[in-house]
Amino acid sequence: MSEGSAAPLLQLRGVVKKFDDKVALDRVDLIVERGEVHVICGENGAGKSTLMNILAGILKPDSGEIILDGVPVGFADPLAASRAGIGMVHQHFKLIPSMTVAENLYLNRQPRRWGFLADRDAMRKDAAALIARYHFDLDPDARIARLSVGQRQRVEILKALGFDARILILDEPTAVLTPPEVEELLGVIAGLKARGRTILFITHKLREVKAASDRVTVLRHGRRISTRPTAGLSEAAIARDMVGRDMRPPKRGEALRDQRRGAAVLQVSGLAMTTAAGRRLLDRVDIEIHPGEIVGIAGVDGNGQTELSEAIAGLVPVQAGSIRLAGADMTRASPQRRRALGLSFIPEDRLDRGLSATMTIAENAAASNYRLKRLIGPAGLIRSAARDAFALEKIGQYDIRGAKPALPVGQLSGGNMQKVVIAREMEKEPAALIVAQPTRGLDVGAAEFVHAQILAAADRGCAVLLISSELAEIFALADRIAVMFRGRLLKVLDRAAASEETVGLLMNGAELEAA
Amino acid sequence: MQASQFLASVLDQTTPILLAALAAMITTRANILNVAVEGMMLVAAFVAIAVGEATNDVALAFSCAVLAAILMSLLFGFVAIVFQADFIVAGLGLNILAAGGTLFVLEEFYQDPGGLRPDHFPDIWHVPSGSLDWAPVIGPAIERQSFIVLLALALAPLSALLLYRTPLGYSLRAVGEDEQAARAVGIHVVRMKLFAVAASGLLAGLAGAQLAMDRLHFFLPDMTAGRGFIGLAATLFGGGLPWATTGAAFLFGFFGALGDRLQLLQAPSQLVLMAPYLAATLGLVVARWRAAARNRPAPIASAET
Amino acid sequence: MTGETKRLARAIAGPVAIVAAVLAGGFVLVLIISSDPVTAYRDLLFANFYSRSNFALFVNRTMPLLLIGLGVVFSFRAGVFNVGGEGQLYFGAMAAAAAALALPSAPFPLGALASIGAAIAAGALWGWIPGVLKVRLDVNEVVSTLMLNFIALLTTEYLVTNPLRDQTAYGAVSFVIPRGAWIPEIPGLPGATSGAVVAVLIAPLAWLALFRTEWGANLRAAGSNMRFAEAVGVDAGKQIIIAMLISGGLSGLAGAFYVLGIGHRFEQNFSPAFGLIGLTVALLARLHPIGVLATAAFYALVLNGAAYMQIDTDVPRSIVGLLTGFLVLFMTARPRRGLIAV
Repeated sequence: MSEGSAAPLLQLRGVVKKFDDKVALDRVDLIVERGEVHVICGENGAGKSTLMNILAGILKPDSGEIILDGVPVGFADPLAASRAGIGMVHQHFKLIPSMTVAENLYLNRQPRRWGFLADRDAMRKDAAALIARYHFDLDPDARIARLSVGQRQRVEILKALGFDARILILDEPTAVLTPPEVEELLGVIAGLKARGRTILFITHKLREVKAASDRVTVLRHGRRISTRPTAGLSEAAIARDMVGRDMRPPKRGEALRDQRRGAAVLQVSGLAMTTAAGRRLLDRVDIEIHPGEIVGIAGVDGNGQTELSEAIAGLVPVQAGSIRLAGADMTRASPQRRRALGLSFIPEDRLDRGLSATMTIAENAAASNYRLKRLIGPAGLIRSAARDAFALEKIGQYDIRGAKPALPVGQLSGGNMQKVVIAREMEKEPAALIVAQPTRGLDVGAAEFVHAQILAAADRGCAVLLISSELAEIFALADRIAVMFRGRLLKVLDRAAASEETVGLLMNGAELEAA
Repeated sequence: MQASQFLASVLDQTTPILLAALAAMITTRANILNVAVEGMMLVAAFVAIAVGEATNDVALAFSCAVLAAILMSLLFGFVAIVFQADFIVAGLGLNILAAGGTLFVLEEFYQDPGGLRPDHFPDIWHVPSGSLDWAPVIGPAIERQSFIVLLALALAPLSALLLYRTPLGYSLRAVGEDEQAARAVGIHVVRMKLFAVAASGLLAGLAGAQLAMDRLHFFLPDMTAGRGFIGLAATLFGGGLPWATTGAAFLFGFFGALGDRLQLLQAPSQLVLMAPYLAATLGLVVARWRAAARNRPAPIASAET
Repeated sequence: MTGETKRLARAIAGPVAIVAAVLAGGFVLVLIISSDPVTAYRDLLFANFYSRSNFALFVNRTMPLLLIGLGVVFSFRAGVFNVGGEGQLYFGAMAAAAAALALPSAPFPLGALASIGAAIAAGALWGWIPGVLKVRLDVNEVVSTLMLNFIALLTTEYLVTNPLRDQTAYGAVSFVIPRGAWIPEIPGLPGATSGAVVAVLIAPLAWLALFRTEWGANLRAAGSNMRFAEAVGVDAGKQIIIAMLISGGLSGLAGAFYVLGIGHRFEQNFSPAFGLIGLTVALLARLHPIGVLATAAFYALVLNGAAYMQIDTDVPRSIVGLLTGFLVLFMTARPRRGLIAV
């Protein structure tokens, strides 16, 4: 380790960034040594992405210095950062699906033929050379739309390297990878390090921090809390820095834990959904959920979880199989009918499915609850005073910060918006609840609150189907754990019988051998 | 002889629609729904006649017409892109401005709200009669077509070349498909979109000039008669792809020419005039229907569990 | 101020500013081209109040703008960019005329009601077609409604120049509507149709329907975020189609009121772009039903005023069209702080 001996490659001093009056970065200092793998760690909203976006030239700091190789620099745009040798691989890939690998690599810098045409042969050849240099396995003529997530990520990495980047920044690179793909990526990182590249890596997954890095910096609420060598550092210590206190796992109500009270409320059998080309989005999915139990479905995003939740909610039709709710066949019923029978749905994207950002908090909370809460008066007109009172009641009950009934719901923060969705969906004390990615994009406090609500619902006898790509969340809440892989629901395990290792294997598609 | 006469009629009807369709296509590839093509065409037609009457200089009239359309398009572009107005409302506004503005100028400066009909008007270049006698059917059809028609026919493959083989085309398509990705590689999104809008202005200007300067030599309010929207329909029908869009434009032009023939058979004129609009509507419906059928999930054989 | 009044005030504050700016620009233009700008602008804004018959014409002009504008409010709020008001208006007017002519001995009010019913049905049908095409096939509604406009105009033009044409009258007009189908005038205001009163009463009803019923909340949900509406159990497709039926029906009603209450016959090209102006009026009022009352009245005022202005002075009436173009073009622009970043 070259700590202290050679001059650091990159130094950040006193970087400040504000968005309106919210302070995203509060005088952050950072030192990155040549050739090291340095992890930036922190909870959602800690400032990690903002800091990296400043380094990559996407954002400009309000004050502070960036010193690259002893020279103070300022980047006007991402192109300038690239030219200075800083390449960023984003969490949400910035690739053009209809174009090929080569075309994406050379976007906005195509080699020319006859001055005004793009030289496709040169692009193809250069791309192939770049791919070979790093031993990636990619076809330069393949269209991005046809590549797997892991492959697309490698194209992104190549894009960053293509500018001969000295520093490579990876933003949550493992968020969308299966465990073997994660291993591959860690291998790629090691290989890059061996070639003398410096790597900055954002993640909030503690195991990866330990596996891949030389040093780890923890950010919390926009401030740098610590920077320490990874060797000898425990996960608990990192977590403590990230959260500021010891984490308390939520307690599952003992009363219903070991009982499966009553017949299954939600029964899904043989459910299948196909694309036009015949690919199975859902492949003979069977699951039963009993009152008071939480069944957690783990799996990497994109293996059919979205389709499953939307199929059960009635928003997308299925091509085979059946869905039964409280014994009644719901396979072709409308979403309205399913709600009437006691189904509630907290969707994975609150702004996409869960809320109408321009409508008021009162209207969002009251949607589908008008009859239940007797908000309709004589002549079929809404009693707006009653609707506002209902909204105020929920604002108090769920501690929705900054909320007034007449405020458009889109003006709330992510966590508070999620609370509005939960308030609405829980109001009817559902018999069955589908909840997908409930704490995505939420800070720790909001996440804890949401978990408590889900547990409370189960304690009241609700049958809960929890879908999450965060294993920790599944293990904290679920009674039984299943894994979705390529549209199939693999093995359903009792929580006692499951470990993160076995579930991780299943997420890769491996079948467990008979015990 | 009959066939080449009909083909000539098809070319006649198709050209303004094709140019409007290509105009709409360029902006569609940049993810802009351009409903303002109609207004840009109208302004070009007016300027062509006005300048042509005043100066008797056909080249000047043509250039001014195209320039006017480009300026209108940039007005629309700035308001919608830089000032982030709603594209459709701003586009409709531009059309209203074009219609109202031309009418205003007619009333204020020419004292004739009915139109502008100059006594003399210079002629644009047409393919000389008899020069293409050697080509069967197609030759006589192209004879006496204006140079704008030839330009339009060339622009169809040229636009494909621009979109798929030039760096500009790549950047434009990138902006249309994923703005964030384009920005991440340093493409100026606003500049690209403005370029697309200006290019559509150029093409709309050609269409307007063709309408007014080819055979008519006069300007009537509303002379574009919805061709800008039919062109838009052609682009939507063709999914924004150059060859499909060109095909759709020809299809709608074909029905227009067919309608003309029917008029000779004593069909009521209004029915005949309706043909392109009906064709465009039905074309859109068919295109969407086939897309829906293509995207239908594959059924599962009941024998499988 | 209560929450509702505040929302209304906020809704019209922006447009008021833009209208003021455009009017100011218009005044400058009039200054340049006219020898008597003061009379011109005075006529433009006040001519409607010079006499009772002027005022009646103003009332008559407000009616179709208001009804078509309310129709636009319903369709836009359901997420449909319906620019087919003109076609729906014409079909409604034609249906009213045809129904009345088909029942010459029907007494009032049955004759009138039958004609009005036919008009609403015809307009609703012309709104239903693009609605169903959008819901089932995702056909772009801007293009489909515009195409249908042309088809409607040409169809009614054919009908009025052939089977329904009154050869004894000048121009392409239909026979005079039988008396049993005439809609009465407003007492005390000869020439003004009571249809305008009906239109004014519909505006608050529209507001109630949209903002004080669960149906209205569902419609607005479908329009603001269709995926959200589906998730909470709204049949978004059905809401959209109903909105288009209402939208077309209101435009058809305007056609009925015109034929039965003003012209008393179907005239080719009777509409000076009511459809497009109705759209403008609704957008100007930020799609608020009560706001549309104000903006429709304002536009009727200005359109009529322009006609007087043209007669009295040397300013052509098309100046209104020109100014409207600028108005609609800039209406939805958002001023940016700082320099333009290109």
